[in-house]
Amino acid sequence: MNRLENELRKAMKREEPPEGFADRVLARVSERKQFAPMNFLMRPSFRWALAGALCLLLVAAGVEYRKDKQEQARGEAAKAQLMLALRITAGKLQLAQEKVQQIGALQRY
Amino acid sequence: MRNTTFLCFSILGLALNAFAQAATSCKLPINLDRLAAKAAEVVDVDMDANMLQFAGKFLNGEKSDEAQARKLISSLKGLCVRSFEFDSDGQYGAEDVEAIRAQFQSPTWSRMVGVRSKRDRENVDVFFRMEKGSVTGLAVIAAEPKELTFVHIDGVIDPQQLNELGGQFGIPKVEMPAKPSGKAETK
Repeated sequence: MNRLENELRKAMKREEPPEGFADRVLARVSERKQFAPMNFLMRPSFRWALAGALCLLLVAAGVEYRKDKQEQARGEAAKAQLMLALRITAGKLQLAQEKVQQIGALQRY
Repeated sequence: MRNTTFLCFSILGLALNAFAQAATSCKLPINLDRLAAKAAEVVDVDMDANMLQFAGKFLNGEKSDEAQARKLISSLKGLCVRSFEFDSDGQYGAEDVEAIRAQFQSPTWSRMVGVRSKRDRENVDVFFRMEKGSVTGLAVIAAEPKELTFVHIDGVIDPQQLNELGGQFGIPKVEMPAKPSGKAETK
């Protein structure tokens, strides 16, 4: 009985870990963390790229909108010019016809 | 080397030709700036085919006058209007009007209407250019005591379209013969 007890006591005896054991464990843990496959969407580089792309998209949309507005304004101005020109033309043709009719009526009497 | 020179001259020739065509789309004497300086109001519209087509895109087809305008400009090469409104009489001379009128003294142009009214001091000339049986140009010169207007429309104008414009923009229903047989002048 004593022998068994002695053997158990010997086996269960507290032993100090070898020197540098804790450091080695921590180093292994951080090493594993470093090489762990990170979620692609969570990568900072991806997030920066996404933010950049969104900024570019916003700028492009803004430029396109401004271009559209300018085109619209130019078109409206051209239309106004055209309508003015046609109104003047119509007015002068009207004048010519009125004069012809007036003179024709005078000649009849 | 010779080929390059030939190519350069060809391109230059084409460019000059295009420029000349663009420049002749509006038949105007050069001295109109003098009139513009005296005028109280000046309307200066000069549109080439590209500009006309561009403006046409913005015309509303649901509005009758704009729909008619779109139809009318579809075959036009140019539209030029100069209108000078003066505060008083005698701001322009007969020679100014004659200079404009002289531009249409060519076999291709026919004066269809020439009104000389001494009572109202209003003179109106309407010229048409006929080519191969179709009207390819219209010019109006209206000289009133306080207003001088010049209109030049370049391009194929369907007489029916002008007729259909009756009531639009105040354009009268002008009855035009298919082929002008002579000048109809009323003095």
